[in-house]
This record gives sequence, C-alpha cells and structure tokens, in this order.
Amino acid sequence: MEPDLSVGLRNWRLASPVIAAAGTFGFGEEYAELYDLAILGAVVTKTLTLCPRAGNPQPRLWETPCGLLNSIGLENPGIDAFCQEILPRVLRLGVPIVVSVFGDDPEEYGELARRIPPNVAALELNLSCPNVPGKSPVLAPTEVAARVAAARASWSGELWVKISPEGDYLGSALAAQDAGADAIVAVNTFRGMAIDLERRAPVFANVMAGLSGPAIKPLSLRIVYELCGVLHIPVIGCGGITSGRDALEFIFAGAHAVQVGTANFLHPLALPRIIREMQEYLRSQGIRNIEEVRGCARKR
Amino acid sequence: MSPLEFREAPVLDQREVAPNIFLLRVGGEFHALPGQFFLLRAWGLHPPLSRPMSVFDLSPGSLSFAYAVRGEGTRLLSRLRPGDIVQVLGPLGKGWSRAEGKVALVGGGMGLAPLLFTAKVFGRPLHIFLGFKGEPFLVEEFLPFGEVYVATEKPGYPGAFLGLVTEAFEPRGYAAVYACGPRPMLEALYEKCRAAGVPLHVSLEERLACGIGACFGCTIFTKRGPVRLCREGPVFRADEVFDGARSFRGT
Ligand SMILES: Cc1cc2nc3c(=O)[nH]c(=O)nc-3n(C[C@H](O)[C@H](O)[C@H](O)COP(=O)(O)OP(=O)(O)OC[C@H]3O[C@@H](n4cnc5c(N)ncnc54)[C@H](O)[C@@H]3O)c2cc1C
Ligand SMILES: Cc1cc2nc3c(=O)[nH]c(=O)nc-3n(C[C@H](O)[C@H](O)[C@H](O)COP(=O)(O)O)c2cc1C
Ligand code: FES
Repeated sequence: MEPDLSVGLRNWRLASPVIAAAGTFGFGEEYAELYDLAILGAVVTKTLTLCPRAGNPQPRLWETPCGLLNSIGLENPGIDAFCQEILPRVLRLGVPIVVSVFGDDPEEYGELARRIPPNVAALELNLSCPNVPGKSPVLAPTEVAARVAAARASWSGELWVKISPEGDYLGSALAAQDAGADAIVAVNTFRGMAIDLERRAPVFANVMAGLSGPAIKPLSLRIVYELCGVLHIPVIGCGGITSGRDALEFIFAGAHAVQVGTANFLHPLALPRIIREMQEYLRSQGIRNIEEVRGCARKR
Repeated sequence: MSPLEFREAPVLDQREVAPNIFLLRVGGEFHALPGQFFLLRAWGLHPPLSRPMSVFDLSPGSLSFAYAVRGEGTRLLSRLRPGDIVQVLGPLGKGWSRAEGKVALVGGGMGLAPLLFTAKVFGRPLHIFLGFKGEPFLVEEFLPFGEVYVATEKPGYPGAFLGLVTEAFEPRGYAAVYACGPRPMLEALYEKCRAAGVPLHVSLEERLACGIGACFGCTIFTKRGPVRLCREGPVFRADEVFDGARSFRGT
C-alpha cells in the first residue's frame, strides 16, 4: 500500500505535504503545462499587492554557491486584476490555491484580505519580503500582530503568516499565533548581497537581495525546529529543500508541511520528484502515515 | 505552438569549432520555432540555475546548440561527451516569423547562434551578415541558406569586411531585419534601421531562473510595460524594447 502523505492543518487536510512556494511558481499555470498539479498540497501564488507593481530593474538574479539571490521586487498585476482575470483560471487547475499578499501597513492587509474571494484555500500574509525598496523585511512582533489582526478581521478562512528568518522570528511567530494565524510559514529569504568587482558597486540596484536555495537549508531547518518547540499552531517549513530527504528533515523537526521554491528552477519536475522520494523513504521504513513521524527527531 | 517538454536527452556529439566555441548535438525528436530556446543542465546543485541556449539547428533525430564558454555552466556543458545525459526543457519563448520579401539576419559573435535555424526555416531571398571580433567561426554552416557577408575587426581574412558588422550593414531595401548579438551592436543597428524605416527584430538576453514565465526573474521594461523575456521574448521588435523603455527604472 502507498504510504499516506496527507496532513491535517487546522481547517483543512492537504493531499500532500509538498506545497509550491510563493514567487517561484507564478500562478501555477506554467508548471501545469509540465505536470498535473493535483499531486501537490497547494500552490501559493506570486505575492499580490493592492496596486500593480512593475518590480525592480535588472539584474534580478545572481548565483552564489548552491544559493540564489533574487531581487524581483514583488512584480505583480495587482489584487483586482488577479481576482478577475487570473484566479478563475487557476481555480480550475485542480489544486488548492493559496493567495499570497503584501501590504505597506495593517490597513492594506485588511483591505487585501477583504478582496479575496472565499473559494481560495488559504490566505498567506507575506510579512517578510526583502526586495521592496525602502522597506525592511524585518518587522517587530507588535507590527506583525497588527498586520495579522487586520487580515484576520476581514478573512474567516485559513490564514498563513510567512515570516522572515531575521530579527525576533520567535517573537514574531508567537505574535502571529496570538493574533489569529492558523499556520506559520518559515521562512522567507535571508537578506544577502553581492558586489560586482568590474563596476565596483553592488550587483543589485536595491543593494540587498533575498538568498534562497540549498545554501540556506540548515538555517531554515534550525528556525523551524525552534518554532515547533514554542508554537501550538502548525509550522510549514521552507528554505532550501531540493529532495524528499530534505523535506523529511523538516517533517521530523516538527513541521506539518513544506514549501519548495528554488528547487523548481534546479529541476522543473522537482516537486513530483520530492513527493516520490518521500513516499519511497516511508515505504522502505514501513511507515504508513507521514503524520506518525512528524517531530520524531525532536529531543524530548 | 509546440508543447513544453522536459527531457533527459543523450549527447550525440560535441566539438570545439573554434577556441572556446562548442557545437553540442543531443538526440531525440524535438520541435521548435526559429528564435526559440531551451534550458540546459548537466550538473547537480551548483550552479543552481540551468543555462538558456538558442536552437542552433534542428533535424529529424537531433537538436544542436552553439555556445561560447563564459563561466561555470558553459564550462560544464563543454565537458559533455557522447552518451552523457543533458536535461533539456523547451521549446521556450516565442519565435520570430518571416516578413515577406528580402530579409536580412545580422549576428554579432556568438549572437549568430539563433540565426542558422532561422535562416533554414526562413529561406531565400535572405542576406546573412555575421560579425566577429577575431577569427570568424561557423560561417560555412550558413552558406547553403543565403548570401553570406562576413565582417571582422581583425585584419587577415580575405573576403571579409574589416570593421564592425553594423558598419558593413545597410538596412535599406530589406523588408525586415532579425538580429542577435551584444547590446551595443543591437542599439547601433536599431539607429540605422529606424533611420531607414525598416523593422528590426532583436533577440535579447537576461539571466533566467525558471525559463517558463513563473518567477519574474527575467522581466524587462518595454513600451507595453514589464514583460517576461523568457515568455514574451526572447525576440522582440526593437522599437518596443529600445525606445522609451530605457528610461523606466522599475518601482
Ligand atoms: C534566451 C537565451 C538564449 C541564449 N542562447 C545562447 C546560445 O545559443 N549560445 C550561447 O553561447 N549563449 C547563449 N545565451 C547566453 C548563455 O545562456 C550564457 O552565456 C550562459 O548562461 C552563461 O553561463 P555560464 O555559467 O557559462 O557563465 P556565468 O558564470 O553565468 O557568466 C559568465 C559571464 O557572463 C555574464 N552573463 C551570464 N549570463 C548573462 C546574461 N544572461 N546576460 C548578461 N550577461 C550574462 C556574467 O555576468 C559573467 O560575466 C543565451 C541566453 C538567453 C537568455
Ligand atoms: C525568484 C524568487 C521569487 C520569490 N518571490 C516571493 C514572493 O513573491 N513572495 C514570497 O512570500 N516569497 C517569495 N520568494 C521566497 C520563496 O517563496 C521562499 O520562501 C524562499 O525562496 C526560500 O525557499 P527555497 O529555498 O525553497 O526557495 C521568492 C523566492 C525566489 C527565489
Ligand atoms: S525566467 Fe522565470 S519568468 Fe522568465
């Protein structure tokens, strides 16, 4: 018998613990040309804002050893164009759609949450984008609480909060939990930078950029391990996962599910492969249900 | 449009046609339009991104790429031997289509890569201008498909124009011009084509991550607003990407 990979979140059961991470998977339509997205737990959309954004100038991508720096700058068509033109199409892809949003202040989060139709699976608050000029991705726990509370007041469905790995991430996650989050997504990219020796200037116009990919996996895993020790809501691990074994490390650390971003660029069929590898591991170990091994590596 | 496909293709052969310039042929039945490209990868975690390569040639049973070794990715590609496996994603992007009448293709250095398959599909009447910094390469491949003119900045190549290809080329009289090469070459060409009232189509480059339109890593700012080079390009009408677009700096 195939091992059961489904996992229960607070209000919802995911068919699989593997979720496509925001900003790396468009709105799902491109990867749907390559494989059936129904095997995924969910797809998180590119982060949407109230007004359309053109994003940052080139260059937007830079490679580091086993890592990727990006400075996209939240390019997106705006929440209204998304809800009217794109969402009806992507709701037909046969996979739960989680809508990611970013606002400048608590009011904007409230407004964004009000505009999301109830037929999306969850709302993910991006409280951690490192690529918005003039804005720090690191919020104080009080600022996190205000944003989550504002969104919670106008969205009654499943609410995920994606936090930065920097600053007081434990305090921020606890504040989000208290303000009504149903799950914490940990983590977004780490701020990094690169300098162009020819130009003697930072590579990116915005100086700092977000570091993702295998290079950050030990760091994101550590944060997920810490969070799972203090939170009572589910944690969704994210950062550097490229294989089924990587994903299982997060589950063993206590995560309910994982999000995978950069790995999609390393291999366009990375997510189906990760799911297959998780299944093979569980089968080889005689584990019938992935929930049996959640948190099994935690020191008691 | 041909459906997007991901494959693991065997290397049929690879040869160094000039110093640091390689011709790589992989096996399989592929489809593509002139101007389209594929993402190639033949390594593990590093470098993280796959490398975009234009279709150099497409025949029953094989697909070839012509590339210059620039850094780690192309160095790894250049080590592939017959029987090795390459991951191939594509065809990607939009191709370019032929205007009726006499058209010209202009390539600068490695920018000739997308032009051979273009020449093959476009057919005559066709003039092909190839510019080089030093010794010309791969010129003989183009000879069956049109009138070929060669320019080089280094003296000593009989029959070649001594200087820049943009100096050798005169756009008047062509229904359209299709070009690929370094940005300054394309901009110089655009000035000439605009003055002559001849439409210019250019193939552009940015770093790509997903290659399929999902990450917004390759966005360039055009007259119609931001577009994803990998999806809406890599070929554009020059007036869409060179006029007015440069002043736009993002949000
Ligand atoms: C759609 C498309 C089609 C292409 N087709 C071909 C082709 O047919 N033949 C061919 O030889 N090359 C082609 N290229 C360029 C090729 O993809 C790059 O040269 C290659 O990715 C470099 O990889 P690398 O690891 O060897 O070098 P890297 O180590 O990544 O870079 C080496 C040097 O090149 C610069 N560089 C790398 N990529 C780019 C870029 N996209 N834009 C500007 N500068 C860059 C870097 O700054 C660095 O100085 C194409 C690019 C695109 C976007
Ligand atoms: C190109 C790119 C774009 C991203 N865009 C977003 C985004 O719009 N919203 C967001 O919350 N996270 C965004 N991220 C962060 C990822 O969702 C993820 O949190 C991070 O990359 C770490 O996971 P990974 O190592 O699996 O990529 C982006 C990452 C990359 C590489
Ligand atoms: S490379 Fe990802 S959108 Fe073009």
